[in-house]
Amino acid sequence: MKSIEKRTYFALILACILLFGVLTFVIRYFRYADRWVSFTGSPHVYTNGRLDTGEIVDRSGEVLYSSQSSQVYADSAQTRKATLHLMGDKAGNIPPRILRAFASKLFGYDKLNGTAAMETGDSELRLTVSAQVQSVALQAMDGRKGAVGVYNYRTGEILCALSSPSFDPLDPPDLETDNTDGRYDGVYIYRFFHAVYTPGSIFKLTTLAAALEAIPGLAEQRFVCQGERYINGERISCPKAHGEQSLREALANSCNCAFAEISLQTGKDALTKQAERTRLSESLEIDGITTTRGQFDLSDAADNDLAWAGIGQYTDLVNPCQYMVYMGAIAQGGITAEPYLAASARCGGRETYSAQQRMTSPMLSSQAAEVLRELMRYNVQTMYGTVDLPGLEVCAKSGTAEVGADANTATFAGFIDSRDYPLAFVVVVEEGGAGSATCAPIARVVLESCINVMNGEQ
Amino acid sequence: MELFLDFFRGSDGFSLLSVYHGILRLSLPVLAMFVVVRSARSLLGFRREPEVWAWLRLATGELLPVTHWENLLGRKKNADIVLDFATVSKNHAVLTRLDDGGWTVTDIGARGRVEVNGNRVLSGRVNYGDTLSLAGLEMVLEPVSQEEARLQANSRTKAGKGNSPGLTLLLLTVFQLLVVLELVFNRPEDRMTVITAYGILLGIQWLMFVGQKLLKRSGFEVETIAFFLMTIGLGVVASAYAEEMYKQLIAMGIGIVIFLVLGFCLRDLETAKKLRYAAAAAGVLLFLANLVLGRSINGSRNWIYLGGFSFQPSELVKICFILAGASTMDRIVTRRNMLGFVIYTAFIGGCLVVLNDFGAAAIFFVGFLAIALLRSSSYPNALLILVGVGMLAVLVAAAVLAIKHFPHVANRFSGYGHIWEDSFNKGFQQTRSLMCIAAGGLFGLGLGNGWMQYMAGEGAADTDLVFAYVSEEWGLLMAVMMIFALAMLGLFVVRSAKVARSSFYTIGASAAMSILLTQAILNVFGTVDFLPLTGVTFPFVSNGGSSLMACWGILAFIKACDTRQNASFAVKLSDKGGKRP
Repeated sequence: MKSIEKRTYFALILACILLFGVLTFVIRYFRYADRWVSFTGSPHVYTNGRLDTGEIVDRSGEVLYSSQSSQVYADSAQTRKATLHLMGDKAGNIPPRILRAFASKLFGYDKLNGTAAMETGDSELRLTVSAQVQSVALQAMDGRKGAVGVYNYRTGEILCALSSPSFDPLDPPDLETDNTDGRYDGVYIYRFFHAVYTPGSIFKLTTLAAALEAIPGLAEQRFVCQGERYINGERISCPKAHGEQSLREALANSCNCAFAEISLQTGKDALTKQAERTRLSESLEIDGITTTRGQFDLSDAADNDLAWAGIGQYTDLVNPCQYMVYMGAIAQGGITAEPYLAASARCGGRETYSAQQRMTSPMLSSQAAEVLRELMRYNVQTMYGTVDLPGLEVCAKSGTAEVGADANTATFAGFIDSRDYPLAFVVVVEEGGAGSATCAPIARVVLESCINVMNGEQ
Repeated sequence: MELFLDFFRGSDGFSLLSVYHGILRLSLPVLAMFVVVRSARSLLGFRREPEVWAWLRLATGELLPVTHWENLLGRKKNADIVLDFATVSKNHAVLTRLDDGGWTVTDIGARGRVEVNGNRVLSGRVNYGDTLSLAGLEMVLEPVSQEEARLQANSRTKAGKGNSPGLTLLLLTVFQLLVVLELVFNRPEDRMTVITAYGILLGIQWLMFVGQKLLKRSGFEVETIAFFLMTIGLGVVASAYAEEMYKQLIAMGIGIVIFLVLGFCLRDLETAKKLRYAAAAAGVLLFLANLVLGRSINGSRNWIYLGGFSFQPSELVKICFILAGASTMDRIVTRRNMLGFVIYTAFIGGCLVVLNDFGAAAIFFVGFLAIALLRSSSYPNALLILVGVGMLAVLVAAAVLAIKHFPHVANRFSGYGHIWEDSFNKGFQQTRSLMCIAAGGLFGLGLGNGWMQYMAGEGAADTDLVFAYVSEEWGLLMAVMMIFALAMLGLFVVRSAKVARSSFYTIGASAAMSILLTQAILNVFGTVDFLPLTGVTFPFVSNGGSSLMACWGILAFIKACDTRQNASFAVKLSDKGGKRP
């Protein structure tokens, strides 16, 4: 009998599997139950297909969404259009991701009492975005497709997260019969978070960060540009021969020949490592929104590919929001605040959520960041005067990404070097032509609008 | 009654009902915890005191206690009676007690001879006073005197001492009354059904308790756990389809009859051993009937209809299977009859594959492993491992085929792990389950107040997804409690193995527990998407007659391994006084 006694442990193992599984499930319950409960269409929290959430307001208190009013969305058509991708549309083609992520905080769900102690009404989710800034950005985009983002790199608050084109959710265009001339192509995509673009020359800021650490004495190097250069028989060209340039002149000229040279000197490994440090091909989790990953892959790259990759072409892809964060890192000496959209949530007079500031891991060395800041400032002073704001030091870099014949993506990224207005920004305009000419005016009005809003809050 | 309800509801906003609900939400889990913990303390806290059935006196005068009905004699360390002499084989002989109190000894292929009073025996009777000789090592079998037996019985701890089963049952009764009260408030239209059904449940459980007292048995924890789970199960049925409560009670009645009859049969090992063949045959007949009469529900053809009742034969086969698989020590160590059981299992597995019921096939497979593991104790396990692996391979192959050819199986499997990506189709049941578990919180929305009830029946909320159903209406705490209750029975079975009388009971209880635990694992893990949803019931809780009957039947095996002093009706009182020749 003793010889078989231990063999009953088989049942013990099964009991342990059961208990372990249940324990695992209980842990998962405490981690995820708030997501499960606000599952789309859940009869516990939805009434007539609408979440019973109370109100969602922008940073100034303007109502963007209300489950109490009959029309649900903001009063002004302009605001509705400018916040469409944040609030979602009625047909569900654009999901209200933030709302879903915070629904459980708004109806007072708690994991102890479930939905039994739920309170509806008098709840509010306050976002960090400004409807006013979003509207200005949408107007500045003027129907062109692309994205505009601005965030406070010291705190992480996103003031502007615009995707264009857009429409009024109360008056959606009839896309089924499509007589809109492609005006609304990809309108359901939240471009700021979910699109990836060939970056063009703004990527030189990433290349340079890698080069500054990999190549000693780079800042003193001189670069000679004859207007074109052949690598592995492939032609890399500049609009004109830039002649002999210092590093800052090479960046201000956005000289492709110089940056092809810098890329080759830096090498695959250092470039790839820098792309990893800036989390280029990772997703950011921002209050229920998961950004689309960018791409930087040199595994099969020959020297000519490496040169193109270093100037933001080849197979490079970046997400606008992700690149905006990198701008913040340059501004802050390598480490910046993680961006967020939801400032606070309240339910029945009690605060159920309050944003916590979190910092990123270091994206570049503080020395490299300082050099880049100076070079980007020089850029603005010499090249992009249109973006400069009186009394403030704007630092930026433009890009004109070639994505096909006559279809250049205009890109522009940078930041304000200021303690009072610590704003990093990114502007992308599809088929936008030359980067600075198209994007700098947009960046300027949007930044002005941000400063106005921030002044109003002080 | 109406007046009573109105009084509680109150006339305006404030109502006594809401206050009552507030108290009830907390008191139900607390009471449940008391019931489970008290039962656990009683079942897991007992001292495992060996029962002495006879003595072996060596030539040196040393007395060796014989503590089981089946005892392995040999040189190896985990023999029941260790005879550390060079001439004795590692496994030398098995000394077996018969129901009439006599003993037999069986030679199990030892090198040295086994002799009784100088005559070689392969298997033969040993009377008290006889000299048993193992390869020349002589010992005399001596009885336990009446006086010794009485002293021993008195000194062993009585079952339920310190944790009176009566008090535990009383707590369960309070729990049940509160459940009825809540159901009456939340479902006034069904109040008569609810009161009657729970009344019957209460009546039966107390009747059984009193019956056991009359039989001078004091252990009622195993039944208490079953009734606790039944209380929750009936509550689920009340919330989903109140009118089905009676059907469930009838099934429980039949199940309890099986439980009692089987329990009484298991007291006598000889009767139980004879029952094995009948059980094996019954299992085959049930399956043949199923193959001929089977109707398809949800794609599996494992249902038959008899006089308006739908019925799942594979459930009852579980009882037959355990009986057929259990075996005594003398057979185990002489490897007799194992092949027959392997063939029998293969037949059952084959039937289930033909019937397209993979959940049940998995359960039988685990049951087979539990039995095979115990029966393979004393000779090389290679054959059994081979058979086990072979069966697993067949099962996997059949599952792959089924996924290819049967859409309902494929649907279940392809949704696994990706439920949120296809929440309106393949992940429908699991996503709704998680949603409702979250909505219920730790204390639940109240009985009858959940949303899972709209997914009962076709959506299997009251059967396959019952863990979520209970979580939503009774709270996650209660759902976890019912799992604790079941796991605790498992621990009890394992603990009892040390003081088991016969390997027959150990095998039976271990297989029974393995089957119940596997059902719970498949049921719960399927609901929460840890495993593919296989459509298996949670023991005693899920709505379903055949499943409930089978669970009660299986419980008899657990009852039969309870050798605590005067604990179980399925175990004879330890009257060991032997007759001297």
